Amino acid sequence: MQTQGQAKAQKETAPEQSPIVQQKIQRLRELYADAPELGRVALEKGLPNLTRELVAATGTQNAGRIGARQGKVSELTGIIPFANGGAKRLRGLLQALEGNFRGGDAVGTLHDMRFVFLDNDTKLLFATAYDGDWDAYIDDFVTKIPDAMDLLFCNIEGWPGIHSPSAKDFIAKHQIAAEAWYVASPNLTVAETRRLEQVGKAVDEFLEKIG
Amino acid sequence: MSSINESTGLGVARSSPTLDLNEIQATVLRQRPAPYFGTHVLFRIDDPKAGRPFLRRLAPHVDSAAGWWDSADPWLAVGISYAGLATLGLPQESLQSFPEAFRVGMAARAPQLRDEGVNDPKNWESSYGNGQVHIGISAFSNSEEQWRSIMGIARELYAGFSGVSIVAMQDFGAQPGDLNSLGYKDGIDQPAVEGSGVEPLPGQGRPIKAGEFVLGYPGEAGVPLPMPQPDILGRNGTYVGFRKYQTRVGSFNRFLQAHGNTEEERELLAAKLVGRWRSGAPLVLAPQADNPALGADPHQNNDFNYSADPRGRQAPFGCHIRRMNPRDTQLTRLTDVNIHRLIRRGTTYGPPYDKSAVSEADDEVPRGAYFLFISARAMSTIEFLQQEWINEGNFMGLGDERDPIIGLQEEGATFTIPRDPVRRRVRGIETFNVLRGGEYFFMPSLSALKWLADSGN
Repeated sequence: MQTQGQAKAQKETAPEQSPIVQQKIQRLRELYADAPELGRVALEKGLPNLTRELVAATGTQNAGRIGARQGKVSELTGIIPFANGGAKRLRGLLQALEGNFRGGDAVGTLHDMRFVFLDNDTKLLFATAYDGDWDAYIDDFVTKIPDAMDLLFCNIEGWPGIHSPSAKDFIAKHQIAAEAWYVASPNLTVAETRRLEQVGKAVDEFLEKIG
Repeated sequence: MSSINESTGLGVARSSPTLDLNEIQATVLRQRPAPYFGTHVLFRIDDPKAGRPFLRRLAPHVDSAAGWWDSADPWLAVGISYAGLATLGLPQESLQSFPEAFRVGMAARAPQLRDEGVNDPKNWESSYGNGQVHIGISAFSNSEEQWRSIMGIARELYAGFSGVSIVAMQDFGAQPGDLNSLGYKDGIDQPAVEGSGVEPLPGQGRPIKAGEFVLGYPGEAGVPLPMPQPDILGRNGTYVGFRKYQTRVGSFNRFLQAHGNTEEERELLAAKLVGRWRSGAPLVLAPQADNPALGADPHQNNDFNYSADPRGRQAPFGCHIRRMNPRDTQLTRLTDVNIHRLIRRGTTYGPPYDKSAVSEADDEVPRGAYFLFISARAMSTIEFLQQEWINEGNFMGLGDERDPIIGLQEEGATFTIPRDPVRRRVRGIETFNVLRGGEYFFMPSLSALKWLADSGN
């Protein structure tokens, strides 16, 4: 007959003993069987921590047509070949913008945007975290900021122009959905963050007044 | 007999039409009459060989938009779903040229439409969501007498026509004052279509490029939207969305009673949800009390924008009409409101709104709205609206709040009413309009209709 403590201990370790988690651990051991030794050692030594993460793992949503999403925040990652002279032009443009892209402010949904030149300036890694669904606002870019879009993307091999009906397909074709996507605050959209910044400031001011 | 012009008070300021009005179906441009009567009939083609003869019989009775601003006669409108086009025997190449959302049908787009929970297609009425709805015919009229007469003609067309059967039929309209199922005058704001032949009414904003509403013309981006092939099939056609809502009048009234102690408070709260008073008078122009004369005048009841209401003190940011057309509201994200507009031909069905109805049984009385909407990109627009402006609040900085009238509400939903000194946040918003079924239709031009009826084996 178990003591209360023993029964409680069993309940507490139960999730880690669940068949799904055990299967995952088994699978990882199989996969890492041919890993470098330091990896195999790390797997066994780090298993308690890893097991906790396996138990706590929640899923990932999709951003619509393509891309991963956590809560309200989606990712878009693409590796795109430069057109002839495209890398030089784009680098010049980005340098003129001082390596920042404050034009993103106007869009209102971009958390970040990354332009990384790869393979001797033959390819562009473009990565962004943005709010909402893949498709939702692209048509708005076409009518509101067509020049900015063509100025950027004309440097890409095969860009049909933002007004082309195949522009969306072109973007999707070069996009690679992330295998994993972690977002610290999945409910914090850009708009919500801005709102909370203002509220936080107002609360601080209020507390100072009454303090 | 008064013309539609007079009964809706449509602006008589004419301009030269640049659209092929003889080809475009009447309902794309003709306003819903006031008063309005009519019927929706949804057909299934049981025998593929019967489909084209059915269209052949129907085609001569489908009205064009020619002289639409003057016309007072009742009219028929026809739409065909993808399932209908496939059953009619349209070649694969042609079928594949339609947008994906149209091809798979509204039920399959539930994820994009956020039609889940009570609105999930698996809960829809049995006529909808299973590929049975092939052809939709709507009859509109401004008098009961003319409505009966046009339904008589329609009945002669399809009664006893073997190979085609009715899957759903609903009379609509005939509401006192043309009020909707929540007791409001609706359908006031419409986009002005460039080249349609009339000047915009005050408040409609500038005319929007025709290509946003009719296929084959340049849209707001300067190029025509993708059009189904062949040319004769797509040109001058458009898409119609059809969403049938059941209105939970009991829940709505209980909500008002829970959050308002006097009749005045309840009416103000209701107006804050909608953005207008029951007469149609907009809060922006009548912030304190209803103004029926204002509400009744089409030259005044829409003549406003939100520049004088930047904090939402008059019309809350999340109110229904501000969500459906933000006009010049400062949104949190880069948006072109002109590419998210819909021409609306909604119709009310069932008994009139009853202020004293508060029971759960009152929620189930068959009473509500057919939300019919028209656009050359109707599928993407409604899916955008459902995702971004109806079941979300981020575009206005409202977090998770949803449209209080047609949003799908979660447990603990709130509605924020901006107010001095402190905003009011009301709890207990429920899903007041429940989706019972729907479909995407293609609305062919008159030539396309004849082509569909005549082509093939």
